[in-house]
Amino acid sequence: MKFNIPIGPQHPALKEPISLRMTVEGEVIRDADLRLGYNHRGMEKLAEEKNWTQNIYLTERICGICSHSHATCYVQGVEKLMEIEPPKRGLYIRYLVSELERIHSHLLWLGVAGHEAGFDSFFMYTWRDREVVMDLLEMISGNRVHYAMNTLGGVRRDLDEALIKKILDGLVVLKQRSEYYFKIGASEPTFVGRLAGVGYLSKEKAIALCAVGPTARASGITADVRRDDPHAVYDEVPFDVCTADSCDVLGRTVVRIKELMESYKICEFLLRNLPAGDIAVKAPKKAKPNEVVSRYEAPRGENMHYIKSNGTERPERLKVRAPTLANYPATIEMLKNGFIADIPLIFAAIDPCICCAERTVELVNARSGEETVVRFGDLRKLAGERFAKSPVKRNAVWPF
Amino acid sequence: MTDQERLDSLKGALGGDILEITNPARRRFFITVDRAKIAAVLTTLRDRLGITYVAMISGVDEGDAFEILYHLAEPALGNVNVRIKISKGDPHVASVTPVLPGAIYYERELQDMFGLVVDGIPDPRPLITSDDWPAGNYPLRKDWKFERPAEIIPGGKK
Repeated sequence: MKFNIPIGPQHPALKEPISLRMTVEGEVIRDADLRLGYNHRGMEKLAEEKNWTQNIYLTERICGICSHSHATCYVQGVEKLMEIEPPKRGLYIRYLVSELERIHSHLLWLGVAGHEAGFDSFFMYTWRDREVVMDLLEMISGNRVHYAMNTLGGVRRDLDEALIKKILDGLVVLKQRSEYYFKIGASEPTFVGRLAGVGYLSKEKAIALCAVGPTARASGITADVRRDDPHAVYDEVPFDVCTADSCDVLGRTVVRIKELMESYKICEFLLRNLPAGDIAVKAPKKAKPNEVVSRYEAPRGENMHYIKSNGTERPERLKVRAPTLANYPATIEMLKNGFIADIPLIFAAIDPCICCAERTVELVNARSGEETVVRFGDLRKLAGERFAKSPVKRNAVWPF
Repeated sequence: MTDQERLDSLKGALGGDILEITNPARRRFFITVDRAKIAAVLTTLRDRLGITYVAMISGVDEGDAFEILYHLAEPALGNVNVRIKISKGDPHVASVTPVLPGAIYYERELQDMFGLVVDGIPDPRPLITSDDWPAGNYPLRKDWKFERPAEIIPGGKK
């Protein structure tokens, strides 16, 4: 007996309103289908109507968590089109904000993972510590979400000695806390047991379905644009690409915690080696007819913009590919043969934005056609009950 | 690997299929091929150079023709962009999903946004446009303009 469960389009567990239809047999998901476009804002069309500078602020609003990623990806492409070279100091500050943004995004995600796994104190701890990095970002840029740091040819705000000291102090705190989380994960068998084996994505499938970011790296693929195609400062900065080979949500958690550590290292390096000089150069109004492909490693994976100019002050074409879209085919694969109770966790594992309080899933009974609305909280309770009854996973260990 | 070596390996793999190849920046390659050969070219790139990752497919409306770019990437080779041109009178392109299964959403997006017909696509349903989207409206074509329908307030002034 197969059932159909629609999830979304208005579903707070998903960052964007998308619609997922699950075909379930008992508690096991047999198939999943995706429908996008509920939040399509026509930004690519709009970008053709706006000039190069206005588009920085447009691209920044593509995403609310990795807002700096899209703006940076766009700006570094347009700088190539305009043939301008931003000063070193500007670049260092730009990518410092990038790494701080990665830290806040990964801390946010860790909290969400803890919450969905039923480990709410972990969620509260990580989100409390996330405030440290949010405050740092606010001190640098004046904003908590849309930093508006980028401009064509550099950045808009400089750092002074006092601020650098504050950021370094903040990083020390964050580093200590992250090490603590790594240990907590290791000494909390229920947490490890809940995450291990959930949302399996084999390496072959991850390659075939073009997964990106921590999702791909948790399946053992060492793909990171910062290393493969070093943009701007990344060929000067020492860092490691973090991978895991458990191919499940546990792997995705481990990859993100390790990446946090790498980001602290990168931030420290950028601050200690911050060159003196200007932060921006003046950019021209127009760009010669040309085309450029800009790549950037956002917290969730590779971000790619294709920008074509036609000699005017507006782009001919701006094509944006956000990492989440690239991970959708892989998500469907992860959901297949998983349990209904794991849906929140698998969603959370690719998509770290859960900001709303009310969550509902509609369960359609295929026999009677009756629809019942289940709150996401109840679904999580269901998940807890299922796992309380299931045997202990003895082979699940936290990989140090 | 230097860019020259990358260029040579691309030329060696594709041979006569290349109509034009440029290397405008470090690790960026733009290859123009014939539209009929796109699936064959991507198969060759996958089998001989190990390019399995399609980052996105972008379309550009050039007035009388569409330009389709397949943005591929491989850690050693960098970013390889395969370009084809399609006339507006015959907007058909072969699906590349048998070669690169991850391309499915980008192909569906092309159908929605440019009105291209992707032959052999396993799932031709609209991806982005809504269910009640009027037929024949392809937003990213240059001649498409959005006109906001006049607002009718029920019970309001006529």
